[in-house]
Amino acid sequence: MTTTMARTRLSHADRAPLIGQRRRRPAPLARSFAAFILIAIAAFTVFPLIWLVLTSLRPQNTIFTGPIFPTHLTAAAYPKAWVSTGFAVHFVNSLWITTATVVGVVVFASLAGYAFAKLRFPFKNVLYVALLATLMMPATSLIIPLYLQLRSIGLLDSQLGLLILYISSSAPFSMFLMRAFFETLPDELVQAARVDGASEFQVFRRVVLPLARPGMATVIIFQFLQTWNEFLYANTVLQDTGKLPLQPVLFSLMGQYNTDWPTLTAGLTMSIAPVVLVYVWMQRQFVAGLTLGAVKS
Amino acid sequence: MSSQTASHRIPRGSLASGGAHLWRLQRSERLAGYLFALPITVLFAVFVGWPIVFAIYLGFTSWSGFGTPTFTGFANYARMWNDPVARQAFVTTILYAVATTVLQTVIPLAIAVLLNYVWRGLSVVIRTILFIPGIVSFVVSGVLWKLIYDPNLGTLNKALRGLGLDSLATNWLSNSATVVPAIIVVSLWGAIGTNMLIYFAGIQGVDPSFYEAASIDGAGRWQQFRFVTIPSLRVVTAIVVSLNLMNGFKVFDIIYVMTGGGPSHASEVFGTYLYSLAFGSTAGSIPQLGYGSAFSVVVMLLCGVAVAVQVVLTRRAQR
Repeated sequence: MTTTMARTRLSHADRAPLIGQRRRRPAPLARSFAAFILIAIAAFTVFPLIWLVLTSLRPQNTIFTGPIFPTHLTAAAYPKAWVSTGFAVHFVNSLWITTATVVGVVVFASLAGYAFAKLRFPFKNVLYVALLATLMMPATSLIIPLYLQLRSIGLLDSQLGLLILYISSSAPFSMFLMRAFFETLPDELVQAARVDGASEFQVFRRVVLPLARPGMATVIIFQFLQTWNEFLYANTVLQDTGKLPLQPVLFSLMGQYNTDWPTLTAGLTMSIAPVVLVYVWMQRQFVAGLTLGAVKS
Repeated sequence: MSSQTASHRIPRGSLASGGAHLWRLQRSERLAGYLFALPITVLFAVFVGWPIVFAIYLGFTSWSGFGTPTFTGFANYARMWNDPVARQAFVTTILYAVATTVLQTVIPLAIAVLLNYVWRGLSVVIRTILFIPGIVSFVVSGVLWKLIYDPNLGTLNKALRGLGLDSLATNWLSNSATVVPAIIVVSLWGAIGTNMLIYFAGIQGVDPSFYEAASIDGAGRWQQFRFVTIPSLRVVTAIVVSLNLMNGFKVFDIIYVMTGGGPSHASEVFGTYLYSLAFGSTAGSIPQLGYGSAFSVVVMLLCGVAVAVQVVLTRRAQR
């Protein structure tokens, strides 16, 4: 009896530092077996991406006849893809539309998230439930009415129109994340700042917002990936090639370069470089945010 | 809720002496509440709320996009019932949603459990690798896999031929029997990482004393998994199932990029069908915005079902 209690206590004490909590120390055989399966799955998962990069580095004439793993590598496809697709223009389009969306979403989502978490005002719950209920409204369902709506207000084929759709469709979800984050901050913080004579906006800007940095980092990274990768709205709203962000352009490349795989794959590789960088750079916030979002919803 | 009422009391108690001051305080708080929530509410009302209403209305009309829509009642829904492409799209959408949901729940759960058995460093590396496909856009993964599935030059057929399995090599995306499973594999490839991380976090949250108690009672590894891990993860499972169902019902990008719904509608889903009705895959066809919107409404209803599934599963888990 005493030994069991001691063991229980020990395992609780172990819990905090040991992130990969184990029930028991696994038998070496079980451990090796699990490792073998996981490594095999990881290899299958990463293979298409390695293949993508390898194909982009192949000389054009070895695509169809050469071995699966090339013997000779060249980066010639990259400048070709950069120039012939007008990559720079679409890259810049993607970058500014994504950045503007992220800024818009972070500003609106933190303001509203704070209001719903910490302020009291009539109809707060009605508004919140309305936002929450349609949080997951699929873009697929809204694309026809949104197209018609942008057409009637003259924002079709305009990057501003696309930007508005991006912000309005993703701000509620980020607001939800920010609200969950603001709720973890103590109410006394807000009260104390008010007693000291701060205006409501000052309380938000000077006291609450600086503490919300981790929450904002999560929203920023999520929004960046989501907007950078968005295809349906961009492909529908914009027609003028010069205004297009990367995703619809990559889609049209498939038809144009269906025999020039190195150029095609070089374009794809260049388009995912920024998201991979952002992921590697902010991985911790990303995983934290994913968990928060999933568990709270 | 309880924290709100508690916070309500604190300032009242401390500021009870200055009634006018308190009144001003609350008024400024109300004002700030409205102002802070205003931008999101307006954007939402105009670009989410109104389009929902508009789509429902258009679903009852026949309209090419010019002039005024003709009200036709339930004609679009009746037409849907008799439209063989719509039936095909219905079967494919449901099949796709259910198959991706099952695979994208069971496999990530198994991986998340296995991750607890391996060395910590290996676990981190594998989690990082498995997550990378999740940050790649559907356009990129669609094009990439289309190249892999290419009948002559694609790596898959090359590998099969190399292994002497020539008979298995096929035109994956042009064969109506293989096209949907081939796309499901791409979806799975992209979704494993995210779902695995959700489960992995869920498993970290299980009270270790449950496992202690189970092992004292003589439960083996499988029994611990069956009677401790699975029941403890019910709420997480409800979330994963519901998210994946929803993603399946509303699928568009990946199918549009890889096949456009073909060959001869074999991979047609509601998303791709409504898109081609409204924005035309065939040149010169008149946009059918009314009929297309009826499918928008059906997709909304299906996503409502996915939310209901989550509510029911969560309720059951908390009982």
